[in-house]
Amino acid sequence: MTAHTDPSDAHSGSPHTDDTHTGDVHDDERLPCGRLLSQVWDDWERGPADTADPHLRTCPHCRRSVRGLDELESAVRDLRDETTDTSAYDTTSLTQRVMDVVRLELRPGRPLSLGEPAEDLWIMESVAARTLRAAAESVSGVRAGSCRLLPLDISDGTGGPVVEVSLALHAPARVPLPELADQVRGRVREAADRELGLAIGAVDIRVTDLIDTTADSQEGETR
Amino acid sequence: MAGACSQNAPPDVQGEVEDALLTVRAAEGDEDAFAALMQCHAPALIRLATRLLGNRSEAEDAVQEAFINAWRRLPEFHNRSSFGTWMYRITTNRCLNVLRARKPVATLEAAGDPPAPEHSASPARIAEARDAVRELREALDLLSVEQRACWVLRELDGQSYEFIADAVGISQEAVRARVFRARRCLTQAMGAWR
Repeated sequence: MTAHTDPSDAHSGSPHTDDTHTGDVHDDERLPCGRLLSQVWDDWERGPADTADPHLRTCPHCRRSVRGLDELESAVRDLRDETTDTSAYDTTSLTQRVMDVVRLELRPGRPLSLGEPAEDLWIMESVAARTLRAAAESVSGVRAGSCRLLPLDISDGTGGPVVEVSLALHAPARVPLPELADQVRGRVREAADRELGLAIGAVDIRVTDLIDTTADSQEGETR
Repeated sequence: MAGACSQNAPPDVQGEVEDALLTVRAAEGDEDAFAALMQCHAPALIRLATRLLGNRSEAEDAVQEAFINAWRRLPEFHNRSSFGTWMYRITTNRCLNVLRARKPVATLEAAGDPPAPEHSASPARIAEARDAVRELREALDLLSVEQRACWVLRELDGQSYEFIADAVGISQEAVRARVFRARRCLTQAMGAWR
């Protein structure tokens, strides 16, 4: 770490004599009035309430040390303003670059068997989950979170595999939940059957949040 | 869902709920959920990285790496903090590594000065302020990497000492000490150039 030593006139005491205030501030400075620079600046940072201390208002050394900080602060404010303007930042190309990498990477996940045992046909759990979440969200006001698919050791009537679905939902407030859950189960089964050819056993539903949709009525539109 | 985007400030309960939901989905491999999170959080992270590194193109690279890193680590994330806070930490660390890897000479003048005022008729106050900002940018290069990071998070990003300690992975006392040293170095450097 670069040591920026003090101007020689600043040393009225050893900088190491009193470290009780800010732990490892080894290059602290004791002002001629006896106060530690770090303490004076700390008070400055806490705001004007601390000017209740009459010493800080009257001591020329304390005031001078704070004036330097005030001057710095005004340049800091300008730099802050200059670097604030990212509200209009267009994330499209950044998102694109990241997603190009993300889509190429294989996430370790569970493959689920489709069809009969002799058929070598599999779908990744994450891909099937995407379809089932979308089906759940076709029920108005529902947002789907975690969606896990667990293969069961039983088969459907034709010898094909059966999976159990565990789905977490954010449900709209003031809607009877048992009916909502039935509706979601129906949509999930239908999509599993029609879009994936996957036989579904139980569909466990956990409502993890209730969303008050009165505030934003556009909710339910999913990307 | 548009607008339901929780960045570090202001706190937005609904945005946080939506973030948590998208984070779970992304952790289970839902790429679209991850893209939505990224669109939400990228602007704030770009701002952070630009302040830490001093230029936009390096900042974009750092944020890109941070997101790719996050995607790989998401399955172990388990929503221990908010996605925004987690990304803030990953991005800060990434920037620290970039700063550490810089050759000392290369940092001088690398800060991308704002264009000089074109008309001499500009009000004196503006010119003066720009000079001060330029001096400040140059003075920032005198700081150690750790001092610079703590100072930027505190002064430009307005974070609490507690938050910075968590983001940088050091104690609050160490953050205070670094910010103090940075202020000391900066006030002296700025004063000397007046």
